[in-house]
Formats: sequence, structure tokens, C-alpha cells
Amino acid sequence: MRYEGVVRRLLGYLARYRRRSAVGVLCLIVTASLAMAIPRLLKAAVDSIDPSRPHESGHAVAWYALGVIGIAIVQAIARSISRFTIFNVGRDVEYDLRNDVFAHLERLPTSYYLAHPTGDLMSRLVNDIGAVRMMLGPGILNLLNTPIYYLWAVSIMASIDPLLTVAALLPYPFMLLVVKHYSRRLMEGTLHVQEGLAEMSNAIQENTSGIAVVKAYALEDRSIERFSALNTSFRKSSLELGRVRGVLAPVFRSVSALGTLVVLWLGGSRVAAGRLGIGDLVAFIGYLHLLAWPTMALGWMLSIVQRGRASLRRLDEILDTSPEIADPVDADPAAEVAAVAPSAHANTPAIRATAGNGNGNGNGGGALAVSPPSPVRPRTLRGAIEFAGVSFAYPGGRRPALREVDLRVPAGATVALVGRAGAGKSTLLRLLPRLFDPTAGVIRIDGEDLRQFPLAELRRSIAFVPQDPFLFSTSLRENLAFARPELLAKGEAGFEDLRRAAERAAVAGDIEDFSRGYETMVGERGITLSGGQKQRVTLARALLVDDAPILVLDDSLSSVDTRTEARILAALEERRRGRTCLLVAHRLSTVQDADLIVVLDEGRIVERGDHASLLRARGLYADLFHRQQLTAELEEI
Amino acid sequence: MRRLWEFIHPYRRTFWASAFVLPIASALMLVQPWLLKVAIDRYADRGDAAGLTGNAALFLLAVVGEFLALYVQYWLTMVVAQNSLADLRLALFRHVQRLPQSFFDRNPVGRLVTRMTTDVDVLNEMFATGSMTIFMDGLTLAGIVGVMLWIDWRLALVTLSAVPPLLLAIDFFRRRARVTYRLIRERVARINSFLQEAISGMSVIQLFAHEGASYAEFLEHNGAHRDAYHLSNVYEAMLFAIVEMTASISVALVVWYAAGQIRGGVVAFGTLVAFIEYIQRFFVPIRDFSAKYAVLQSAMTAGERIFQLLDTPVGIESSEGARRPVPGDPERGSVEIEGVWFAYKRDDFVLKDVTLRVRAGEKIAIVGATGSGKTTLTKLLNRSFDATRGRVSVSGIDVLDWELRGLRREVGVVLQDSFLFTGTIGENVFPEGRPPQDEIERILRAANVEGLVASLPHGLEERVGERGSNLSSGQRQLLAIARALAYDPRILVLDEATSSVDAESEHMIQEALDRLLAERTAIVIAHRLSTIERADRIVVMHHGEIREVGTHAELIALGRIYARLHALQYADADQAAGSAT
Repeated sequence: MRYEGVVRRLLGYLARYRRRSAVGVLCLIVTASLAMAIPRLLKAAVDSIDPSRPHESGHAVAWYALGVIGIAIVQAIARSISRFTIFNVGRDVEYDLRNDVFAHLERLPTSYYLAHPTGDLMSRLVNDIGAVRMMLGPGILNLLNTPIYYLWAVSIMASIDPLLTVAALLPYPFMLLVVKHYSRRLMEGTLHVQEGLAEMSNAIQENTSGIAVVKAYALEDRSIERFSALNTSFRKSSLELGRVRGVLAPVFRSVSALGTLVVLWLGGSRVAAGRLGIGDLVAFIGYLHLLAWPTMALGWMLSIVQRGRASLRRLDEILDTSPEIADPVDADPAAEVAAVAPSAHANTPAIRATAGNGNGNGNGGGALAVSPPSPVRPRTLRGAIEFAGVSFAYPGGRRPALREVDLRVPAGATVALVGRAGAGKSTLLRLLPRLFDPTAGVIRIDGEDLRQFPLAELRRSIAFVPQDPFLFSTSLRENLAFARPELLAKGEAGFEDLRRAAERAAVAGDIEDFSRGYETMVGERGITLSGGQKQRVTLARALLVDDAPILVLDDSLSSVDTRTEARILAALEERRRGRTCLLVAHRLSTVQDADLIVVLDEGRIVERGDHASLLRARGLYADLFHRQQLTAELEEI
Repeated sequence: MRRLWEFIHPYRRTFWASAFVLPIASALMLVQPWLLKVAIDRYADRGDAAGLTGNAALFLLAVVGEFLALYVQYWLTMVVAQNSLADLRLALFRHVQRLPQSFFDRNPVGRLVTRMTTDVDVLNEMFATGSMTIFMDGLTLAGIVGVMLWIDWRLALVTLSAVPPLLLAIDFFRRRARVTYRLIRERVARINSFLQEAISGMSVIQLFAHEGASYAEFLEHNGAHRDAYHLSNVYEAMLFAIVEMTASISVALVVWYAAGQIRGGVVAFGTLVAFIEYIQRFFVPIRDFSAKYAVLQSAMTAGERIFQLLDTPVGIESSEGARRPVPGDPERGSVEIEGVWFAYKRDDFVLKDVTLRVRAGEKIAIVGATGSGKTTLTKLLNRSFDATRGRVSVSGIDVLDWELRGLRREVGVVLQDSFLFTGTIGENVFPEGRPPQDEIERILRAANVEGLVASLPHGLEERVGERGSNLSSGQRQLLAIARALAYDPRILVLDEATSSVDAESEHMIQEALDRLLAERTAIVIAHRLSTIERADRIVVMHHGEIREVGTHAELIALGRIYARLHALQYADADQAAGSAT
């Protein structure tokens, strides 16, 4: 039953390339048939060698030899076409499948990513899609090739000598099983080795991230010992794999040699008995050579198909996960244009038509599938926010992160959330752009349930600066323009916008100090920014979300020194006017001017009021404030 | 490659053994067509059934022998490869462990992981695909040519006449294929790093409604990836087809020429059959050459990068004749910093002429704003960095003369973010192995984690999630204190955590810290007034300089920075108290 589903899905992809697939298969049949003619011609040539009639015999042989050469040339053309057409279709399907999985991943909510580590998803997108492609390219080629070869070869061989045919082919089914067995073990071994490699990577990754601790505690020997254990077990599984590979590699030579052996012995004795000609031997040896590879390949393919099916199932797990957080079913059409996720409104994302991709290049095909961001502004929100009885627990979390939170933020107000680590401040903010949906309760903007807004519209109305300053490994310019890619194309005017945002976030100076300025690359392929610089870039990035009525700062200035922070807040003052602003801050000095300060503890609101009244209340806020004051004053010296 | 030999050297016997088996396999392969020729000419043609059976037996021996030889050869190669690569990885890991902190500040974690795993794996691929045998393939080819020439040189020349144009064609495709292989490597790397980043940054993509643009970008990477493969598929298919074609043409030429010779009685039928067999075997290594060559090339590049990392100078190492203090030395636990200057970047001094003497057992609180140099100062004590100018001594010995491991045992650091490693709680608290049970209990009790450990279903064997994600920040801090207690250094550097935890944990942490600091020299980067007031001396740092040193009373009397701070604190507290009443 599963098998049928798998086949149907693959056929769906293949159907897009049916014309080229047909050409490939046709050429494949031609190649195989021509290949089969060669030993037959050689037999005829050898048979016609007759020392008693030199002249005619010479002519005949010359014609046969020319025939072989002609066939070889035509075959070469058909063979290269069939190979690259079929393999390329495999790559095309890989391309489509990967696009679909990626598009689907873009729609899955944050909770999905909490449950699925990056490494796991990467392995599906790389290894599993690769396994599916193997099933399609080499898989199809060989699954078609082998029967064609056998059909031809066996019928020709049997017409020459049925008994010898049976005897010579006897080792082949056995080989098929051996190869199938070992190639399954090969794949298992490969998986094992890959796991070992991943474990070592993790160990290195962790050790390198925590190198300060390792050094401080002189734990080098301990780390080396641990790594050494992983290394040793990796070596063991690699050797295990080597043992399997070691059998598989020479098996090919032995198969065809064993066939030759049978021909030599049995065929030779039949020649000795005068029942068979030398030409027949030549033909038999030729056919056995030709069959050796397809036989091996079939065994190999059987395990590739097995693996491919398992991989496809793992991919289905992603594609079958429906996004819990999605656009409302009855989102109004104008807003739907703004929903930029490419497959946001397709019910079966995997079968989204990308017919245009078939023979175009990547860019051409891609451009068709993406709807540009809507030029029409979605309806303007004022930015009044209301949390009504909101509770939330992280999936798998033991205790709820938020408990019945009620909070009303008038449009244009600035509200600060304060509390100890783990009190639920960030969680509350993350519910607003629907990174998560509350377990209970409702959140409203301008009186309307969040779930009524198309996601893209909702998120464009919120300029969000997350706690973790995540930047992409591109240039600073591209990172800044993340929310408004159109600025990149606008030249000077667009650049001016970027610069202004950078200035507001007090990072323009830093950027201009880099030798390549805004073109400086960030991350793996570029420079490493300091924590404070990263935070300021992420802030500038959010400030470019134009006319967003809501600004959310999730402890986004923790690594920025107090003075710069004050400067940034002053620069934001003008931007904040008329906008709703929710902010979490570690430093209480930051929040003193907020219209309302809300103190959270263990997921509940425990105090609310302005700075002065909360100080007077001598509760948690006052306690936190006094504790921090020294740090604050140190910064002032 | 020469560098790689250093790692193969310990296994050279196995290596040479495998190199010795390879020609045997080749010879056993070469003998098979010849046996076929003999079988036809000497036995089959003359009706000698017994001789034919003997010949067949020899042939079987040759087949089985070849199989075994190939298997043994591959197995020996793998033994050499896996052992020497495991050694190489370990050497890399060991080396990276010793690199100075500044190296890690410059090199992203991902790059180091790639060096030690992916790049080494490329070397492995070279052994596993048999690319090392590329030279041996040449030997086999020469063997085939030799045997053919020996059997019948004219026939051999006819056979080989198709080879020169083939070599030209192969060279043509090899050049192009090489470009596509490089293209593929680049594009695979690009699409993978894009995916990695997009997945880890998915919430950012979603927050900024950037799905469409990211998808477009992905299409571009994915398309480029596909196109590179398309191109390489075309070259590979053509190369494959041309080699096959040449083999068929060679066979046709041989049959044509041999036919004339057979008619003239010069050549026997068996020779023709043997030649057809040799041709089949001749073209396989030629076909595989370009693929093997590509693997070999990327292995070279990977090797270069690996050895570059291995050659990065360690910088901070124990000096020769490194010292450890004599037991019972009264200087034990003292710290002397004399005229120390330090800059991370040239001339941008973070510490300027700092001098500080700490007696054994003294408790020092360092006070200063972010960037005042207080953290840097503590990093010089355990040689995370070396001072640019000046002298740092610990327990009476210049840190440069200390045996590095000993120094780091002497100076313990409790970091603000208490990094926990994947593993069990026990492994995190006692990374150097468990002390006796009563000692374990004493430490757990002193660090106030006895209750926590008892409440866990597996106690000390409880697994810690990735970076301690299943523990609260207070619990992580307590475990870090326990680790420091188990470590038992003479001198303790403590970066007081600023993050607030709930009141109960706060109390427990304070209590555990008091026990940790007792009977040790302590240098605390202080954030709380209570900690500062209890210190023996207070050091006020500002812009890389020590501005004030003294006891609480002395500094109050001095009436400068510290006095002002103190006054402000109390004024605020009073004011808060006042306004509340």
C-alpha cells in the first residue's frame, strides 16, 4: 500500500519530464539492442574465416568488421544520449522535490523546528533526496537495461547452444543475490559511518564552542580521550564498511570470469567434440561479458530502491506535516496576494505545478513560482494589542510558560516586560507574530483575533527584533534589506534607507569602519561581528520594516553598552511615536520611561504599573531594580 | 602528500604488503585470457578433453586467486587508511585543543568542524574508491600491452592503434569534467550552507515574511546545483560512450586483421579470442581514470587545508624546564601583576600598566564598567592570553615558566555562562573522574546540589541536554560551582553572574559560593554590593587602568569613584525606602 503511494508520487514528478524520459528510454533500448548485435557479428566474422577460400572470406570479414564499427558509432551516440537524459531527469526530479520540501519547510511553525534538530532536517534534504534521485536516475536506467539485455542475450545464446547457455548463466542468479545482500550491507554500513561522522562533528562542535571552559579547567586530556573513543568506534565502523566494499568491488570481475570459465571448459569440450565452432565461443564470451554488469547492477538497484523508498517515506513525513499555523481559510483575496510563501495556498504542496522548470534554467523556472510581494499595502492596523487569558506551554515542556495572561496595550503605547530569566517574557512576545499559537486564550490586534489575519500581513505589521541576533551569511547590505529586498534594486535611494536605519540603530559607524563597508560579508565566509554589533544590525533590519505599527524588542540590546543603548532609544523615540512598542529588557534603566511596566514571574503577571509606583510597591520590580543599580552606576563612571 | 606519509608511516608494513599484493592481482588477471588462448589452440582445437579440464582448473584458480588478492589488497588498504586517518583526526583534535583562545575568536566553529571531519573524509574517499591505485592501474595497462606484444606484436599494434585518438578524446573530456567537478563541489557546498542557515534561521525568515524571497534564492542555488550536475552528466555519458565505442572498434580491427593472419596460418584462433578478452580488460581502467583523478585532486586540496591547520602555531605552550611550585611554599596562592599592558589588536591597549599584588588567601573584588579591562585582567592569570608587556606571577612563579596544565589547576575560573557539556551530570561535575564516594557527597553538599541530584531519577547519571537545556539557569550555576569545588584550585577567579534567578536559588548560590571561596585566594568580578563589601580589598578599574585599590573603609575615606558609587547606592536605597513610607 505504501509502495503504491510512493510510486504514484514519483510518477507525478516524472510526468513533468515525460518527453525527455521517453527519449532516454528509447535510446536505452537502441543501445542495448545494438550492444547485442556485436557478439553476433563477431561470431559471423570468425565463422567466415576460412583458410580454404581466402578471398571471399577476407571480404566477408571486412564487411563484418565494418558493421561492428558502424554499430559502435551509432551505439555511442545513443548511449550518451540515454545516459545523460535519464540521469538528468533524475537531477530534475531531485530539484523539484527539494524545492517542494523547502517550500513546505518554510510554512512549518517554530514548534516543528524545536522538535526537529537542524541536522536531522539537513540529512533529509541532502541524503534522503539524494537516495531518491539514485532510485530514479541509475535505478530506472538499470531496471530497464537489465531485462532488455537478458531478453536479447538469452534468446541469441539459446539459438546457438541452449545447454551451454544454461550452464554459463548458472552463476548469475547467485551473483545477483550476493550483490543484493552486500549492497544492503553497504548501505547500512554507510549509514553507520555517517552517524559516526555526525557524532564526531557534534563532539568537535561542542568542544570548540566550549573551548573556554575546556581550557579554564585544563580538560584537554579529558576531551581528547572522549574524542578518541568516538574516533576509534568510527574507525571500526569504517573498517566494517571497508570489508563489505572489499567484497563488492572484485565480484564484478569474478562474475564475468566465471562465465568465461564455463564457456572455456564446457564450450571448449563441445568444440573439441566438433559440435560447436570457435565463433560460437567468441559470441558466448561476448554475451557473458555484456550480461555481467547488468546483473550486478540489478542486485545493486534492488537495494537502492529499498533505500530510496525508505528515504521517500522520511521526506513524506515532512510533506505530510500540515502547518498548524497558517493563513485563515477565508482570508480575503487581496491579502492572499500578499501571502508570499510560494505554495501557501496549495493544498498539496508537493504536486505544485512547476511545469515551466522542465527545460528552463533554474532562475527562469523559479521566477514563475514566486509571486512578488504585493504592492498594495494591506489594510492599516493601528496596533492595539490585547492578550486575553493567554496560556502557553512549549511542546514537551513540563510546566506552562505562560498562565492566563491578561494584558491590554493601547495603540501607540510603550509597554515593558520585566522579570527573571525564564519568567515568560520572550514567550509572550513570540506569540504576537504567531511563531507559536497560545494553548488557551486569545490574542487580538485592533480587536480582531490574530488568527484572522493572513500570516504575511500580520508579520509585516510587526517589526520584530529577536533575542538571538541571527544574521545570514551574506553582505551586511543584504542582511539589512532582509525585510525589503526591493531596496537592493533601487540603487542610491534604497541605499539611503538602509543607511538611515543603520544610523538609528547606531551601527552605521561600525559598518563604515569596515574596509568593505556595507558589502562586508558576515558569518562563515566573512567577518565575525561582536554580540553588540549583531544586535544593532538586527535592530536596523527590523527598523526597515516600513510603517509597521508594532515594534517588538526582545531583550535586543543586552550586549550593547548603556550609553549606546540610550542613544539608540533616543533615536527610536521619534519612530516609536504613534507606534505600539513592546519591549523586554534586561537592564531596568531601559524600561523606566515605558508607559506601562509589566512584571512577569513564572508565567504570570505579578505586578504592573509605572516605574515610580512599582518602586513604591517594593515588590519584585523594586528588588530587581536595586540589584541592578550597581551595575548601572558602574557603567556611568 | 608527503605530509600524509607521516601518518601512513606507522602502518608502512601493511601499506607495502597491499602494494605488493596488487601486482599479484594484476598478474592473475592477465593470465586468464592467455589460458583461454591455450585452451582453444592446444586442447579444444585438437580435441584434448583432459587437457581442457586441467586448463579450466587453472583458470578457476586464477579467478579465485584474483578475487582473493583484490579483496586482501583492498582490505589492507582500508586498514592503513582507517588507522592513519584516525591518527590524523586525533592529531588535529589534539592540536586544535592547544591553540590559543585568540584562534577561536578568529575562526568560526563550523570551519574547524569541516576541517576535522569533511576534509578528512575526502582523504578517506581517496583510499576507499581506490584512487590511490591510479598508478597501479598504469602498471596493469602496461602489463596488458606487454603480454599482447609478447603474444603477437603486429596484432597488438593493430589493437592499440585506436588508443591514441581515445587518449586525446579522454584528455578533452577530462579537462571539461574537471571544471564541472569543481563547479559541483562549490555548488554543493553553497546549497548545503544555504539550507543549514535557512533552517536554523527559519523563524527570522518567517518573522520578516521573507519566505518568497528565500524561496527564490533557494531556487537559484538549487538550479545552479542541478545545472552543474547536468553538465557533468553530459561529459561523463559521452566519455563513457566513447570508451565503450573504442573498445568495440578495437575488437573489430583485431578480428579483421587476425582473420587475414589466421588464413595465412600465422595466427591461431585462440590468439584472437585472447586479444578480444584483453581489450575488454584494457578499457576499464581507462574509463575510470578521470573519476579517480578527480577524487585524487580534491584529496590534495583537502590535505593542504588539513595540514595548514595542523601547522598553525600553538602560541601559548609550556616553556622548556616548566616549573611547578614546591609543596608547602608560603607563596602558594599569591598573585603578582607587574606593569602589565595588553592589547587584543595592535596598539589598542585594554590594559595599561596594571600592577596588583594579591596575598595568598586574600579576597579581591574588581569593580568596573563593561570594557574597563577587568575580565581581560583575569584571563592573563591562566594564560588564556599572554600579556603584551609586563609580568604576571602565580604562586611566586612567572606564568610563562609554569607548566601550563599545572597553572590551570592552580587558577580555577568559574565563568558567568556555566557551559555544560553533553553527557551526564556526574561527568560535568567531575570531568576528571569520580573521587571517592564520601568526597562526592561532601562536594555536592557544599555546592547545594545534593537535593537536585537526589531528585533526578538517575542521580549523577542523569543526562544533560544540549548545553544543559533541561536545567534552569540557577541549577546550571550551582553545578558550575560544584565543578569548581571538585577541581579545588588554590586561586579562584569568579565572574559574578548578573542574571537574576529566583530568590531561593539566589540564596543557595550565595551560600555555595561562600563555601567555594573559603580558604582560597579569590578574585571576583563583582556586580553586587554585598560581595564587594565583604572583600578584603576592592580594585576599581576604569579604561584599562587601576584607579583605586583598598579596603572598603579606605576607599570610602578616599572619597573618589568608589565612595561616590557607594553613596549613590545608599541614596537610592534610602530614597526608595523613603518614598515607600
